[in-house]
Amino acid sequence: MIRFEPRTERDGLWTAASFAMAVVAGLAVSALLLASTGADVGQVFAALVQGAAGSPKALATTLVKATPIILTGLATVIAFRAQLWSIGQEGQVFAGAMGGYLGGQVLAGMPPLLFFPGVLAFGMAAGMALGWLAAQLRNRFGVNEIISTVMLNYLVIYLLSWLLQGGPWGENGATISYQQSPMLPEDAFLPALFGSNRLHAGVLLPFLAAALCAVVISRTPLGYEIRGLGYNPEALRHKGVNIARTVTIVMMASGALAALAGATELFGVAHRLRADNLVGLGYAGIIVGMIGGLRPLGTVVAGLFFGGLASGAVYMRVLGDVPASLVPAIQGITLFFFLCAGVLARYRVVRVAFQ
Amino acid sequence: MSTALRVEGLTKRFAGVAANDDVDFDLRPGEIHCLFGENGAGKSTLSSCIFGFYRPDKGQIFVRDQPVHIASPIDAIRHGIGMVHQHFVLVPEFTVLENIIVGTQRSGWRLNAAEARQKLKAICDGYGLDIDFDAYVWELPVGRQQWVEILKALYLDAEILILDEPTAVLTPAESRILFDIMGKMCARGLSIILITHKLIEVMQSNRVTVLRKGKVVATLNTVETSPDELARLMVGRDVSFAITKPELKPGETVVAVKGLTAHGHWGEAVLKDVSFSVARHEILGIAGVAGNGQKELFEVLCGVRKPQAGSIRLMDEEIAGLTPRCLMDRGVGHIPDDRFREGLVPEFNVAENLVLGWQRNAKYRSGPLINFKAIAKLSREMIAEYQIATRDEKVTAGKLSGGNAQKIIIAREFRHAAGLMLANQPTRGLDVGVIEYVQSQLLRKRAEGFAVILASEELGDLFGLADRIAVMFKGEIMGIVDPRNTTISEVGVMMAGRRQGTTQ
Repeated sequence: MIRFEPRTERDGLWTAASFAMAVVAGLAVSALLLASTGADVGQVFAALVQGAAGSPKALATTLVKATPIILTGLATVIAFRAQLWSIGQEGQVFAGAMGGYLGGQVLAGMPPLLFFPGVLAFGMAAGMALGWLAAQLRNRFGVNEIISTVMLNYLVIYLLSWLLQGGPWGENGATISYQQSPMLPEDAFLPALFGSNRLHAGVLLPFLAAALCAVVISRTPLGYEIRGLGYNPEALRHKGVNIARTVTIVMMASGALAALAGATELFGVAHRLRADNLVGLGYAGIIVGMIGGLRPLGTVVAGLFFGGLASGAVYMRVLGDVPASLVPAIQGITLFFFLCAGVLARYRVVRVAFQ
Repeated sequence: MSTALRVEGLTKRFAGVAANDDVDFDLRPGEIHCLFGENGAGKSTLSSCIFGFYRPDKGQIFVRDQPVHIASPIDAIRHGIGMVHQHFVLVPEFTVLENIIVGTQRSGWRLNAAEARQKLKAICDGYGLDIDFDAYVWELPVGRQQWVEILKALYLDAEILILDEPTAVLTPAESRILFDIMGKMCARGLSIILITHKLIEVMQSNRVTVLRKGKVVATLNTVETSPDELARLMVGRDVSFAITKPELKPGETVVAVKGLTAHGHWGEAVLKDVSFSVARHEILGIAGVAGNGQKELFEVLCGVRKPQAGSIRLMDEEIAGLTPRCLMDRGVGHIPDDRFREGLVPEFNVAENLVLGWQRNAKYRSGPLINFKAIAKLSREMIAEYQIATRDEKVTAGKLSGGNAQKIIIAREFRHAAGLMLANQPTRGLDVGVIEYVQSQLLRKRAEGFAVILASEELGDLFGLADRIAVMFKGEIMGIVDPRNTTISEVGVMMAGRRQGTTQ
């Protein structure tokens, strides 16, 4: 008989083993699910791997798909580490795209070196505004940030819907009204890397952002306060930390990161403002951040994994002949096992004799 | 039946370290048997093994002389063992009755409240407990909440009761009542294991088992031993109880409080017109039963609570209503009473906790980054200077004993404060050896020229340390006395609400 006992100290090897087991178990259960649809499991997985990393083109797609969810994942990390349960990443992605679009109109004609940083800053400012609002609601009126951010998500998503349909930003002249803006001028597309037609320069941002987050969280006084806020706000208050101010900073930083995802999607991928390619990026970020263990570097790894799944899904559907809707199911299964692994890593398995 | 409970050769290791090493222990029917020892001596591990939280690596437990296997608290309860934890496991929004029957029902889903009420009524009558079953737990004072915990165990027909430091949260009066109840329980055949590190409580038991570093040092009949002998057995060396305080002439006034009034959450007055002053080289003691405004006074003085009226002058500067940050920068040090909640971040390591509140200080930074190297170096110095028992500065603070946690706070506050030191219950829950140390450190600050404000529920400590004692009752100061010409019982009367100099 075996039994679980809480660990007093974390063991790196055991943690790694737990997560390896999670990957194996996740794949095994996914395989069962695939088999139940009558698909050839081996072929499906081969297609998945090929689509995720089988060619430079596949790798580029993986990177592009991973970019927004790593950014929203980092937004999750910075908020959750402070035990601020912001669910506002979804709305902030939309706000980032809208802010970026507005910035694109304001800054049109500027040289690229000013234009791109400028529009990204516009996008981030929109996300920061949402984060600021949720922080003020919490600090002044004690409104739980989960409630306020979820509500703000609806507000922002419907605002975009109105702006595009009937509002000032919709595509004019079409007999059928699509929920989208006109195409951006080509000089407003984020420049491509390595001559690829899909690998935009925005894919570098999540790596820069992750490095910055890692340094801020673990090496700066602000990061010390963020971690302390998550663990024991009362002690921080007694030792002179302005809690309200720290909450505001964290919510704004989280909003800025999530908004950056929306802005890069707009200028790097969609090239026009529309809702359908933004849906779910914020919520995926929560999953990615959690699987990444609320650590910036872990979030990059988890984001690349999910990006690979998304990129491989296309191949899987074509080559493996399985419905694309199985991909979110596989993501869900993986998340489940990763969460299990997170718990398992905190325990040790002990063999006990029957008495 | 010769023993109610017996433990033979019990060994429990954590990560290779023996928390209990070949422990023999027995509990006779109808006795109070103390488990006495310093924090980390293995008292809690032993009781956790008996109650089924941990499974021993070796050894055998006997209940009523029958060998038993206790794999979980459910097994323990089935064998008639009950436990009252130091920190209560109650739902404040539930009534007393609901707290007792929820989770303790044995018959399916139906809550049979009427039957439970009857059974509890019988138990309460038997022990002379007067408690309203329909009161919400949050309405009850701490002492009554503890009764609810005890009732929970008795409701489950416990015959062996483990009380884990039951008086840690009680006032002296509540403690006396608890011991009366314990006496009645023993008279009715219950057996009690009392975990404590207060000598005064040990002396009220029938027998005592002293643990040190996981091993049983001695099991003695209480009447045949003395506090001195027990303290020596616990610490492993002689302990001096007498405090030697040098005579010092008070210097200039450091802090002067006048007409201080503060309101609580519901607008009720928690501090009423409080005035006093403290000078350099002086310790002002604050006496009072817990919950009479001491905590609120310290909160106002350290800036986390805003006063409604009154003035606080620190070195001739008005500081009432300033933030904790401003006060820390003006040299106010604070040792809070709830050390793991207000004084430390338990998840942070020792080094991080040693700079808590000073993380933005230029001394601990290089550019925008925290200078962890400098902090580690400083931490090692402080660990040595303040005798903090830890493997190194990277150990998580929450894993240290209460005494070592307190030493971290003291080290940090002493390092960064200048002029005024606030110490609220700095020795509460600590071992004899550590208490001695904390007291000597406070006297050191006094000698260095600090003004010290010290609140303690142990009157003996106040009489030994303080130059003057202010007695608080319901948020007011009943009087400020000189301990050299006042008796403990005079202060006791003031603690109960009689003003100094009045006879009524």
